[in-house]
This record gives sequence, structure tokens and C-alpha cells, in this order.
Amino acid sequence: MAAELETLDEERIQYIVVKIGSEQYGLDISVVDNIVRMQKITRVPKAPSYYPGVINLRGEVVPVMSARLKMGLDEDEITKNTRIIILRLELQGLVGILVDEVKEVITLGESEIDRSNQSSQNKDATYINGIGKSGDSLVSIFDINAIIDEVAV
Amino acid sequence: MDVSQYLDIFIDETNEHIQALSDNIMALEQEPENKDTINEIFRAAHSLKGMAGTMGFKRMQHLTHDMENVFSEVRNDTVKVDSNLIDILFKCLDAVEGYLENVKATSDEGTEDNAALIKMLNDVLEGNGGDSPAADSSDAGGSEAEAQESDSAEGSDDPNGKNHFLALKLDEESIGKLRGAVEDEGLKLYGMTVHIQKECLLKAARAFLVFKALEDYGEILVYDPSSQDIEDEKFDLGFSVIFASNSDDTEAIKTSVLAVSEIESVDLALVSVEQYEKAAEEAKAEPEHKVEPVAAPAAAAPASPAPAPAAKSAAPAAAKKTANKPVTTRTVRVDLEKLDALMNQVSELIIAKNSLVSISSADNGSGNLDTQSWQSQIEYLERITTNLHESVMKVRMVPIENTVNKFPRMIRDLSRKLGKPMNLVMTGEETELDRTVVDQLGDPLQHLLRNSADHGIESPEERKAAGKPEEGTIFLNAFQEGNNVIIQVGDDGGGINTEKVKEKAVERGIVSPEEAENLTQKEIIDFLFMPSFSMAKTVTDISGRGVGLDVVKSNIEALGGNVEVKSTLGQGSTFTVRLPLTLAIIQALMVEIRDEKYAIALGSIQNIEDISIDEIKYVEAKEVIHLRGNVIPIVRLDQLLDFEPQDEEPSNLTVVVVKKGDLQAGLVVDNLIGQQEIVIKSLGKVIDNNKIISGATILGDGEVAMIIDVNALM
Repeated sequence: MAAELETLDEERIQYIVVKIGSEQYGLDISVVDNIVRMQKITRVPKAPSYYPGVINLRGEVVPVMSARLKMGLDEDEITKNTRIIILRLELQGLVGILVDEVKEVITLGESEIDRSNQSSQNKDATYINGIGKSGDSLVSIFDINAIIDEVAV
Repeated sequence: MDVSQYLDIFIDETNEHIQALSDNIMALEQEPENKDTINEIFRAAHSLKGMAGTMGFKRMQHLTHDMENVFSEVRNDTVKVDSNLIDILFKCLDAVEGYLENVKATSDEGTEDNAALIKMLNDVLEGNGGDSPAADSSDAGGSEAEAQESDSAEGSDDPNGKNHFLALKLDEESIGKLRGAVEDEGLKLYGMTVHIQKECLLKAARAFLVFKALEDYGEILVYDPSSQDIEDEKFDLGFSVIFASNSDDTEAIKTSVLAVSEIESVDLALVSVEQYEKAAEEAKAEPEHKVEPVAAPAAAAPASPAPAPAAKSAAPAAAKKTANKPVTTRTVRVDLEKLDALMNQVSELIIAKNSLVSISSADNGSGNLDTQSWQSQIEYLERITTNLHESVMKVRMVPIENTVNKFPRMIRDLSRKLGKPMNLVMTGEETELDRTVVDQLGDPLQHLLRNSADHGIESPEERKAAGKPEEGTIFLNAFQEGNNVIIQVGDDGGGINTEKVKEKAVERGIVSPEEAENLTQKEIIDFLFMPSFSMAKTVTDISGRGVGLDVVKSNIEALGGNVEVKSTLGQGSTFTVRLPLTLAIIQALMVEIRDEKYAIALGSIQNIEDISIDEIKYVEAKEVIHLRGNVIPIVRLDQLLDFEPQDEEPSNLTVVVVKKGDLQAGLVVDNLIGQQEIVIKSLGKVIDNNKIISGATILGDGEVAMIIDVNALM
């Protein structure tokens, strides 16, 4: 495991932990611009199905993606905990991701992330590039480029 | 001398002069006798050379100098304009452009001497004798000489005479300057009279180079005539200066001045302040002599060569050249009228704001607002913001002229290269478009024109056989249509042979022979826009590598426009480029479909109809309506936009009839909301692959509405 290779002074990255379905996912905080409450999403005809539409974020039109639909889960259930995480990406600009709940912010070093499961049979494994441990729960780390990039080409 | 600060101006103006030369040489070819054109050319060449000289670009100066000589002979009717000469001149222009490119890239002119071109120019000159009379400024110089009559015993009164510098009359200020240089800095004073050859055409430029050479030795304190007059070429064949230097080497100074071409002789001698003082006293009654005030007082300018006066003389020279040029549009140049309009509207805006403030404060406490005046003020405000938007847009708009005015030259070159006589007719060059669009329009249009010249126009023999005039015509028409600008590029050539295109498509395996049979003409022509689909039998350097139309299409689409082709075999083809007038804000009709709001650009809407369901007819199983003699296909927006079908179809439909060129379509909507000014926002890159929706806008209540791209529906 990586822990033996890097012990001291390793880079520690903060992740925002969100709940999607029954699982917890981590998003690198450096790409997160903002977290907003659920608001009216305007449908964009002919957009990919996992893009429910766009929102008005302080005068900018920002596309919003459903992480659930993207990963092949059931459609989003909008509750009072539903949030839209706004990512600011170099290539794609602002993109929102719909999540069920925002839990906390954790800090993980590379040694605390298990990178070995990439070849897992798990269906959404292509969108995650590691599993971190936070307390006794597991957090799948999103591969931002994989989850967003696909349509941006 | 540091000229880098003038580099931008130089590049800008050189571009303008090159363009002016190109235009005028084209015109000259048509009317070789037109004096105005020749004069215009001469002026442009002269300016070009002056600027190159000022900037120290010797090679460029040399070339333009020789060009100018040729123009001068043309002006004097000693050289006849023929197409051979025009060719040479165009080649020279290309070379000058080459220099300019180098200057842009490296701030240096490069090392290409273009000796061959210069030789060609000189051959032209020699073939016709090089006797050029002195320029017309001799009169001015003469009268000035008379004005300077004096009774001084030493030297000659004639400014062209030998040792004229000894006869200079100086005012106290100049004498003070001379004294300062001698006493405070211990410099030596030299008087110099320079005689320029009779044949010299650009005396001012020579003078300037002399001054430049002298700057290496010291500072010029006194000019005669004044430096302004010298710059304006208001002197005959000689001028005098007094300069201060710490050098003893009179020979070296003399040699470096004589190194300037077309200088006949130089008189140089040491002078003293006293002799001028004496002369000044003697000639007190004489009118005061004009002397150029030097920017820096002598005390402040030590022995180093003085850049200040040099820079000073360069700057007005550049400024002068701008002044007599017609206003052309570049990065920062905005027509003053447009700015004035903008300013007016801003002041109106302030008035409107004040009215609103006064209404709301008048009602302070009472609680009942004067709704009527409130309403009218809101309307007023609305009108102002609309106008304001228009004005700001106009500031961004530039005529396509700058982009298209290089095309006549290009077609001429192509015509000679291909051996096909052809003529470019352009209309609507004044049509304005957003600056960003205009800048990127050049390449696609150039492709289309080349395409017309190479593929469109047939050989003269073929044209003759087809009963057409031997000279082919290529046209470029630009005009505005609603919110679009249309640019048509076409020719009266052979048109697109769809059969051949079809064969080629089959040959390339794009379609099977069976499929090919059922293709419409439009579908066949669309093949031409496919990457690396070239119809040229041989690859020429003009077109035919198959990188062309597909690039045109993608370029135009990147600008939010589209390209269409109409072609009639034997009669020519026309490419129609449609571009959006503006990129940011448009007037739109807001419509409702179920519970969603959509915007349709007002510019593409023709009219709105209320149609009974019975009026819908079917043509080829497609819904159409018959409206005032037109058959218009119906587009069910709800189906197109993936809405659930309505349980019960209403008996009347609201149809928004939209047009794109000659095409029409009726869009069925549920409800009309009204007209509104909307700001176009991008949907973001991740869902940008959407053809029907061209963008989104944010409504007054914060809601987002999609903008329907009418062009994509047809």
C-alpha cells in the first residue's frame, strides 16, 4: 500500500463528502466553486438524459448534472437536503452536480486513499478513482474528469 | 534613437498605406490616365517610405523609394502603365508586406534585400529615362529665400548658396542656446549648409537623414529654414543648421552627412557665437527669423546625442500622415458620432433615473404612488435602455470593408495566374458586423472566392462556346436582413456539376450507387462541405486540396452562422453566408409551450397566425398550411422539444411563421407571452451539442428560458 512509500509531509487534500443514494462520495474541494440549495431547474430539450437542465446562478446559466442518473441509479428524489454542488472546471466552465445531501468536509492524505479498486466490477467504478476512509465509513473519491468529461469532448 | 514606441503606429499606418496602394494600383490598371489615382499612389508611397526611413528600416525604405521613383515617372507621364508594371508593383507591395510581417514578428525588417525587385523597378525607370524635375516645392523655397535677403557680407543670401550658414540671422533665444552649448558644456559649434541634388524627390527625407546622422555627433541647435518647414519640404535645394558637438573631426562629420544618398555637397565650418551676435545686431531691423525651439534646454541636454528633438520630429510626421487619411476602423477607433449618441443616451438615462427618484420621493409617506407617471417613466426607461443597447452594439460594429477590400487584388492575381479573365464585383462593403465576426470572416470568404475563381469560372474558350462573355464575373454582395447579415459569394461560371459530385461520392465510398440515385441536389452539394472532398482534378496551389469548403463551413458555424449553396449548371453558383448581427442581446418573442417558456428571435419571425386545425393539409405526409399563396410546413414545437402530447388537441393553433432566406416554417406554440429584449447566455460547454437550442436567457423573475434556433429548424 502507498502508506509505506510516503509517510511524512504527504499532500493532504480536502474533500467534500456528499451522499448519493446510500453511498458517500468525496469531491476534491479545489474544484468546488459553491454549494447551492435546490432551485428550479429548467429543462434543456435534447440534452443528455443525465442533465436535468440548467439553473440561474447569479445571472449565469449553469448546466446541472444528476450524479444519480449518470451512475445509472434511480432518478433524484428532491428533499430539503438536496444540494447542487457547483464545480468550476478549466475546460467545461461551471457545472452543477445534483447530490442528495452534503455531509462534511474531510482531509485525506494519499496514504489514506485506496487506489487499488479501479478495475472493480462495480458499475460506477469508472467515475471514482479511489476509496478513502473517514472514521469507520468509506468515501468513494470522484474522478471529476471522468464524470464530467465524457460529454464535453 | 528609440522608435519602439512608434512601432504600433508604424504597423497600423503601413498597413493602411499598403491597402491604399493596393486599391489605387488596381484602379490605375483600369484607368491608367487618372491623375488623382496616381497622385494618391504617390502620396501613399511617399508616406510609406518616409515612415520606413524614420523607423530605420533601410531595406524597406530602399524598396519603397524605388517604387516611389517609378510612381513619380508615371506621374510625369514618362512611364506608361501596363499590366507588366502593375505586376511588378504588386510584387513590390507583397515584398513591403513581407517586411511589415517581419517587423510585426521581430520588430526588425529582416534581411531580405529584394534586389531582384529593385532591379526590375530600376529597369522600368531606365527604359524611360530618369529625368525627374524638381518637386513642386521650389516656389516655396524661392520665396523664402527672398524673404531672407540681408546685407551680410559673408556667405551667400541664397539658402542654396555656398556657406549659407554664415549668413544666418539668429534671434536672441538661439544665440543664447549657442552660447549655452559653448560656455556651459564646452562644445564646439559647427555651421553646416547641405545641398541636395536637383533630382531628389524627397528632400525632407534626405534632410531628416542628415539630421539623424548629425545626432551621432551632437545636438542641432539652429535650423534654417525651421525644422517644421524642412519637414514639410518647404525649402529649395539647400538648408543650413548650426549644431554643437564635442568632436573635432570635421571630415568624419562631413563624410557621414555625404553618406546620405542624393546629397550633392556639404559646407561645414566651425562657427562662433560672436559672429552671429554681430550679425544679429546689424540686422536688428530685419524680421525675426524662425527658429525651432528645442525641447530640452541645452543645459539639460548634455553631450550625448539628443533623442528628444529627433523623437519630436518623428511624432508630428506620423501624426500628420494620420490626419489626411480617411478614418478607417481599427481596434480603438470609434466614430465620434457613435460615441456622441452613446453619451446622449447615458444622459437621458440619468434624467430617467432622476424622474423615477422624484416620483418616489414625491409620494413619500402618502403611500399612493402616481401609477400613471410611474408607468410612463418605466416605459421611457425601457426605450432608453433599448437605444443604449443599440448604440453600444454599434460601437462594436465595423464595416466588412476592412476585410473584403483585399479581395479585388486577390482575384486579379488569380485571374493572371489561372489565365482566366475575371472581374470581382463587390457591393455592400459598408455593411456592418460585430468586430469579432468581421475579424474572422476573412479566411472563409477568401476560400469561397478562390473556389469561385478556380472551380467556378470556366476557361475563356469554354465560356465563349457557352455564349458567355469571356471575362468571368465573381460577385460578393453583403447586406443586412433582419438580425442577420447575408454575404453572398458567387460566380457566373459553370455551376456545380452534381452528377460529377455524385460520382465522386460513390467513388469515395461515401454513398452506395443506389443511395446516390435518390439524393436531392442539396444533399449532393452538401458533400462538397465534407472534409477532404475535393472536386479539383489536379491539386493547384489555389484550391483543390480538399481543405476548403469544410473549413469554411466550420468557421462560419463557429461564428454562429451558416452557409448555403445554390447552383445552376452552366449558369454559376452562389454561396450564401448568413451571420448573426450581434452576439449578445436580441429582441425576442417569448412563447409558452405547456409550462415552459421559450424565446424566438424577433428578427426571424415573419408573422403570427391563428390557424384552425382544419386548415392543416398534408403534403408527403407532412403537415403544411396554405397561407397567402405560400405552402408553409408546420413544425410542432411540442413534439420537437420532447413534450408529452396534449390529451386534447385545441381546435385553433397559434403558429409563429419564421423565415430563413426564402424558406419558411410555421412553429406551433401554445401561448404567446410577448416581446422582450433578452441577453443570450451560453448553455455551457457540457450540453452545447444541442442544435435546436441556441442558448438560454434569464428572465426578469430569474427563471431560465431556452432560445430556439430557428435556423436549425429549417
